[in-house]
Amino acid sequence: MDKKLDQNVLVVTPTGKTYQYWEATGREAQISQLNLGLCTPAGLGLALALPHRKVVALDGDGNLLFNLASVADLAVQNPGNLIDIVFDNECYQSCDSFPSVTSKGVNLEVIAKGCGIKNAVTIRDITRFEQTLDEALNGNELFFIVAKVEPGEEIVPLPRQEGRENKYRFVRHVENTENIRIINPYSRRRKKDFTPST
Amino acid sequence: MKQGSVEAIVTGLKEAGINFISMLPDSDFTDTQKAVMADKDFKCVPVSNESIGFGVCAGAWLGGKKPALLITTDGIMASAFPLTTLNMQKNIPVLMVIPYRGSLGDGIWFMGPMGAATEPLLKDLQVAYTVISKVEEVTPAIKNAQLSAEAWLRPTAVLLTGEIIFEEA
Repeated sequence: MDKKLDQNVLVVTPTGKTYQYWEATGREAQISQLNLGLCTPAGLGLALALPHRKVVALDGDGNLLFNLASVADLAVQNPGNLIDIVFDNECYQSCDSFPSVTSKGVNLEVIAKGCGIKNAVTIRDITRFEQTLDEALNGNELFFIVAKVEPGEEIVPLPRQEGRENKYRFVRHVENTENIRIINPYSRRRKKDFTPST
Repeated sequence: MKQGSVEAIVTGLKEAGINFISMLPDSDFTDTQKAVMADKDFKCVPVSNESIGFGVCAGAWLGGKKPALLITTDGIMASAFPLTTLNMQKNIPVLMVIPYRGSLGDGIWFMGPMGAATEPLLKDLQVAYTVISKVEEVTPAIKNAQLSAEAWLRPTAVLLTGEIIFEEA
């Protein structure tokens, strides 16, 4: 999936294995380790702030369910530059794969459609996932993709970046590519801080 | 809410450079919320739960916006989790403007606990805040809170007491 995304695409990832895989891509434009219920909302805010940039949020079923109402808010805002992918393994994998409610029949695609997201789909095979991702990347409409995946217990390296380092890397990427200033450590200067022009 | 208070808040937000606002409706704040919704200087994103608003504002800040939340004291209670796991952990700033329900003079019984819990909770969540009870202090307080949020990369809050928010019957 990383190969499909231009380096300018902004990627938002939750805590857990998803981020651990994505850190290995070395992508600068990823803000990561968004905790329960905050991945899709952060993706929404980012997409609204930068409507000319493609944003891909890689949420998980457990993370999204924590703030399920964010799907409704996402639908109402309807940012055409956001692709919200929910990797649904029907469990809380980092908690000994304790089952989530999607394992009991709760259908995230139906919820998203009920909220008004037209391009809400559930995908169970890799070929269709790639086709749908291409369609979403080439279009200008909000996509909500529920990617059904098997729980995996594969051992992946622990993240090297902690949250603040990751934030600075991401912010500097946005500052550089958008030619804007986000971090402003001297927001109020005193007169005496200015060097006299003479 | 008193008309002068609404104007002071909107002016403060503009002079602070705020251009992105998330909110959940509140009976004491709807005049202000309607005013910012109608103002093209602000991108407004109403949310269904204040904690969603913290996520949305964090994303907006990461994208270069200057966000603020117009939320209630109840909203702070509902948002302890994102304030801890997002703003505190990653040092992400956001300005909050909050009608201080439960401050002295509040005459609704169920607001008492809000008043008791608000300031201790803000302190525990490392939110720098100020309590304002004079309309003429609202605009500078909002500007100052935003200046510090930007420099410190921390959430800040302006609590507005009953003298500012209540309109006598």
